[in-house]
Amino acid sequence: MKKIFSYSLLIGLSIFTFSCDKGLEELNKNKTSPTSVDPAFLLNNAVINSSFPVKSLIFDVGIVQQMVSPNGGVLAGANFNQDSRDVTTAPIWAAYYQNVIKYTYDVIQNTKSVPARSNLYNMARIYQAYSFMILTDEYGDIPFNEAGAGYSTQVLLPKYDAQQGIYTKLIQELTEASAALNAGGTIENSDVLYSGDIAKWKKFGYSLLLRAGMRLSKADAAKAQTTVAAAFAGGVILSNADNAYIRHDANYTQPIGGTLNGSEAANFYLTKPFVDQLKNTNDPRLSAIAIRYVGATSGNGQTVAVGSTNAAQQIGMPMGKDNGTIVAQATADGLASFYDYSQADRRRILKTTSPVFLVSAAQTNLLLAEARFRGWITAGTAAQYFSDGIRAHMDQMATYDANAAVAAGARDTYVAANPLGAGTELNQINTQYWIASFLNGPEAFANFRRSGFPALTANPYGQPNNPDVPNGTFIRRLTYPTSELSINTTNVNAAIAAQGADKLSTKVWWDKP
Amino acid sequence: MNALQGKVAGVNISSLGTGPGGSSKIRIRGQSSISGQNNPLIVINGVPVDNTNFNENASAGIKGGGVTADGGDGLSSINPDDIENMTILKGAAAAALYGSRAKDGVIMVTTKTKGKGRGIGVTYNLNYTNETPLDYTDYQTEYGQGENGVRPTAPNPTSGQWSFGEKIVPGMTHTLFNTSGIPYVAQGSRIKEFYRRGQNLSNTITLSTGNEKGGFHLSLTNAENKGIVPNNKFNRKGVNLGFSYNLTEKLSFSGNVNYTNEKNTNPPNIANQDNSIPTTLMAMSTTMPLSVLNDNKYNALGNEYNYSRFTNRTNPYWILAEQFHNIKRDRIFGNVSVKYNLLSWLFVQGRVGQDYSSRDEDVNNFPTGQASRALVTGFANGIYTQESRRFRETNLDFLISATKKFGDFDATLTGGGNQMRRILDINNVQVTDFFVRGLYSVQNGRAKDPVYTLIEQGVNSLYGSAEVSWKKTLYLNGTVRNDWFSTLSAANRSILYPSVSGAYVFSENLSNLSWLNFGKLRLGYAEVGSDGDVAPYAGQLFYAVNANLINNPSGVSVPVANSGNSIPNPNLKPSRVSETEVGLELKMFKSRVNLDVAVYKKITRDQIVQVQVSDASGFVNTRINSGESSNKGFEAMLNLVPVQNKNFTWQFTANTSYNITKVLSIITNTPGERITIGTHVFNGEVRHVVGEEMGQIAGFGYATDPTKGNQRIFQANGLPLRTSGLVLFGSALPKWTGGFLNSFNYKGISLTVFIDYKLGNKMLSGTNFNATRHGLHKNTLEGRTSGVIGQGVNQSGTTNTVVSPVQTYWEHLRSQQIIESVIYNGGYWKLRQISLGYDLTKFIPAKLPFKGVRLDLVANNVLILKKWVDNIDPETFGFGSDNQVGLESPGLPTTRGIGLNLNIKF
Repeated sequence: MKKIFSYSLLIGLSIFTFSCDKGLEELNKNKTSPTSVDPAFLLNNAVINSSFPVKSLIFDVGIVQQMVSPNGGVLAGANFNQDSRDVTTAPIWAAYYQNVIKYTYDVIQNTKSVPARSNLYNMARIYQAYSFMILTDEYGDIPFNEAGAGYSTQVLLPKYDAQQGIYTKLIQELTEASAALNAGGTIENSDVLYSGDIAKWKKFGYSLLLRAGMRLSKADAAKAQTTVAAAFAGGVILSNADNAYIRHDANYTQPIGGTLNGSEAANFYLTKPFVDQLKNTNDPRLSAIAIRYVGATSGNGQTVAVGSTNAAQQIGMPMGKDNGTIVAQATADGLASFYDYSQADRRRILKTTSPVFLVSAAQTNLLLAEARFRGWITAGTAAQYFSDGIRAHMDQMATYDANAAVAAGARDTYVAANPLGAGTELNQINTQYWIASFLNGPEAFANFRRSGFPALTANPYGQPNNPDVPNGTFIRRLTYPTSELSINTTNVNAAIAAQGADKLSTKVWWDKP
Repeated sequence: MNALQGKVAGVNISSLGTGPGGSSKIRIRGQSSISGQNNPLIVINGVPVDNTNFNENASAGIKGGGVTADGGDGLSSINPDDIENMTILKGAAAAALYGSRAKDGVIMVTTKTKGKGRGIGVTYNLNYTNETPLDYTDYQTEYGQGENGVRPTAPNPTSGQWSFGEKIVPGMTHTLFNTSGIPYVAQGSRIKEFYRRGQNLSNTITLSTGNEKGGFHLSLTNAENKGIVPNNKFNRKGVNLGFSYNLTEKLSFSGNVNYTNEKNTNPPNIANQDNSIPTTLMAMSTTMPLSVLNDNKYNALGNEYNYSRFTNRTNPYWILAEQFHNIKRDRIFGNVSVKYNLLSWLFVQGRVGQDYSSRDEDVNNFPTGQASRALVTGFANGIYTQESRRFRETNLDFLISATKKFGDFDATLTGGGNQMRRILDINNVQVTDFFVRGLYSVQNGRAKDPVYTLIEQGVNSLYGSAEVSWKKTLYLNGTVRNDWFSTLSAANRSILYPSVSGAYVFSENLSNLSWLNFGKLRLGYAEVGSDGDVAPYAGQLFYAVNANLINNPSGVSVPVANSGNSIPNPNLKPSRVSETEVGLELKMFKSRVNLDVAVYKKITRDQIVQVQVSDASGFVNTRINSGESSNKGFEAMLNLVPVQNKNFTWQFTANTSYNITKVLSIITNTPGERITIGTHVFNGEVRHVVGEEMGQIAGFGYATDPTKGNQRIFQANGLPLRTSGLVLFGSALPKWTGGFLNSFNYKGISLTVFIDYKLGNKMLSGTNFNATRHGLHKNTLEGRTSGVIGQGVNQSGTTNTVVSPVQTYWEHLRSQQIIESVIYNGGYWKLRQISLGYDLTKFIPAKLPFKGVRLDLVANNVLILKKWVDNIDPETFGFGSDNQVGLESPGLPTTRGIGLNLNIKF
């Protein structure tokens, strides 16, 4: 039996004239896709993908009460004081780890031992530090040391690191990488952020170092002071020409502009606190930013014909309203419907192709104003940095759209009328920082938590017993995604044990009273 | 395929609500893979054919979004009239012959290769069915369009998908679009008004002849289907030639060639938000007349006139007018085999089979002017995709087989080998925004993104089998097969797997029992190796440079590149299925009581599981060899012939099967470890959880207070509190499937009545989720005037007394993603089919050239006898993919088909 069986197999083998895995190796070669590319192209991808995702609009921008939606569903977030970690709109966590950190990590791995790409290596280090800063500011403790290494070291479930340690490393990275950038080395012309301009990259790196230092003003004032001084000495962005911003175009559109010109066009409104702040100070930026479709009763009614950018006509939507309660509020505000509240103008500053500012001269000047006020730097005056910051932001408006430009006269009038006053320095500086960080949700949110300014009133939605946000308080961080709780359970639980409950109300390390 | 539904024990066939030309979903003995699909292998005349599923939710369909149509599968090009017989091989034992792709069973189709008599036999067959869309909605009709209790009275309202308006009072009017004075009355059935009756007409002519030396069978067919969506049609033309001939005593050959030409026009988009007509219709406000919607599909600019603040709920009439989707497929498959009898007891056979298809597709994913899409300055917005793909699978195999008698023993030995190669290449160009409005072509696109894909893979196999029998009483069969997979690394690509089975025909030894005609006990064990559907090249990370460059600050266009989002694992090895089966077959009382039962246990080990990794790794997922699951079940088929006489026969067949699949391990065997395999377009997901049945539906439920008898907890604003995390609501896989078939034959008139069922599965109903949050579900009638007071306690444990506005109360479910109220028992009992047939031959005058005429009348999907889900047929599933199992999102309504089949032989 067995013999016959083996014989027949043998006959079979002989008829089968090929060896049994012959040709299979050749079949398994991909003939159309490369296994490596110029790492500069990957850094470009990291930069473009770091444009703030829609979830930043739903949380960051709403927490700092600049724009808000009365509608729920996928738009439920800061507006309803709700922890909606699983809502389908891209959270910053996945967007950054998978589309930014992944690529900066790849670039760093592929350039660190290539002397000819030393500048690219240091640019990627700076950009990675920038991205990690946003992640840790939003969530607190995060995977840092082991992050982004899924492919190179097969770490599928990275450990979390404490924010304090992360900041130490970020400061070190920014310091080293900014210093190491060398104008005599290879210039990375295909860089999308600065065309490889070393001077600008250095300013970007030191401006981030300034930002990192200021972030620690309450948690570690000594370290904050030395970091800020070092950053200032290195040279920071003081002019709009050096601003770090993503130049979106028709092919690489920006997520928030895309949403606000598309499906959610009629769903987000400027808030009453934001509009009132600008209106009460005769801020010329209000008519640069805002539009009100007077008398609109639906999204269809939001036509250019009825749109008014006149500052006096702007009315912001009060916080804490939902689709039901906004009806009576709109009537009380003398409006035809909630569609009649002021919006950030999607035809000027929130186009699908509008630039997204990462670090601006306005922000940097305002941080220096505070640093000077605190005595952490000695050059210049706080008042000068303060007014330079305001001016820079007003001038920056033209970059969005010619029709959003603030006239020099109006700018100077405002600056003259709003000098830095004794006793209100921190409030004034950080209120201006809040305005200057409009459309930069993560930075506005972080600086609001750090400084406590502007003095906003907590969103009353769902109070007094809102399960996610205690009455009278603000959201202090975002919660970890469900996927981390499901997949990276051990590590995320260790972070939660160290940092505090995974709630919107838990404060991150640097967030001290 | 749906003809088999419920008739074979252990086979679960789902018809998807996706229109004609759509795919079928067949699962044999449940599903075994933790990730990946569980499609059985389709074998036609001994050669596997391609059954790639183009259901866009199942595979990587058209990129760029906006398209969720079902582009069909490989089975649809087989003409039922050419089928001689169809056998389903359920167990893993089939794999020795057909390899790893048979691990989920095999559907063996044998087509006709010759006629049944001398001379040319001509047969004409006409089949016609008329499909009536069925409406199972039981929505509220007391309140009309509007929000927060107010009906629209100002122009251009955007509450078209909301029925939280005013109580309808005769004489009331409202404003829609720019028209005031529209009567505020509840409209009739959306389904009956919007959809049309589907019509399927198929004509087949068959020529055949045959004698003892051989013959042929040639058929020509044309099938025209008009789908229920008014612009959807599907046409299939086919030629099938089967032939066989014995050239000499020793040499014979046979073969078949099948050519089909298919054209699918506008397969409907389903189960999504954008562009999905069913989603929109099922949530349309009570009082919106469809004629008004049709008349106002365009605004003054010629763009979609928005009527809903969820702009994604595209006006169905605008989609009909503006979106197109064409799929053309030419496919030729067939095989030729030559058999040579070396000796009277020894033959060799060689066979070449090929399945080739070319498929051209084009679709405007997002037509210009869609309300949910951002307008583009200077261009007409929109996305258009053109794709052409060619697919070829060749199978070369040989077989040598010896049969010999040694005394009381009969022995058959077979050895063989197979070489399978597949090559797929795809040219895809997607363009975004257009220079000239209304012209959808790739050269008219502003931004172009061309991608060429070439995928090759192969499997080499050797196999042998031995069968020995003794006095037709004892049978023993052993097989062994070795496969080599190109998709795995050289070190891991080979796997050897055996099977052994035995049977004892005990009736041979019990001839004294006159009531027992036949009795057989069988026992089998089989293993199958598989590469787990690993895609070719999955062992390496690849990069891609975007087609469009971007300007850097100096104005120079610079490239942007990305890399794959799955961490490659070059060390994957084949997975292994092992299955044990015991069966008993009895024929009793002159074969009037027949029973066939089987019990099986199947363990799938070393599964190649696509596991999600931490986002912080930078990647989305990876594949690992891990994962173990077990399928256990039984199948029983009872056939009774209660009456059998000259004029009247009554046959009754009952079949049932029970299957339960448990997840034993994923990465480890820690109970509770889980992976998410699919998420619902709205809320909720499907998970596999270690220690649980496979395919758990998970989502947020209502938080309850265990100290207060588990009453629901309400927040201070009266809205329900959700559970702190996602909870499991049960498995979406049916445990029981089966049916009852009664057939009566009276003097040539035959009547069959067939009832089938599927039980023991949970479903998450997206239709009901929308109906609830938009105010159509009858649940939302509570509290319309004074608000809802949720039944339960507040956070401090005292009875909830807070009133919440009705619309806020129900929309809150979406904001908080609470799906508990739309989790249903997904089972059903259906009166699936009634058919009545009569052989009319005897009425035909002899001078007419007809040899036979038969007419059958058939009614399909006659009645739902029992269901648990509200407002829909539990079978209207848009998703065919196993990772969307149990997640219902509005598909096309199911239809009742009434038709006839006329068969004339000349």
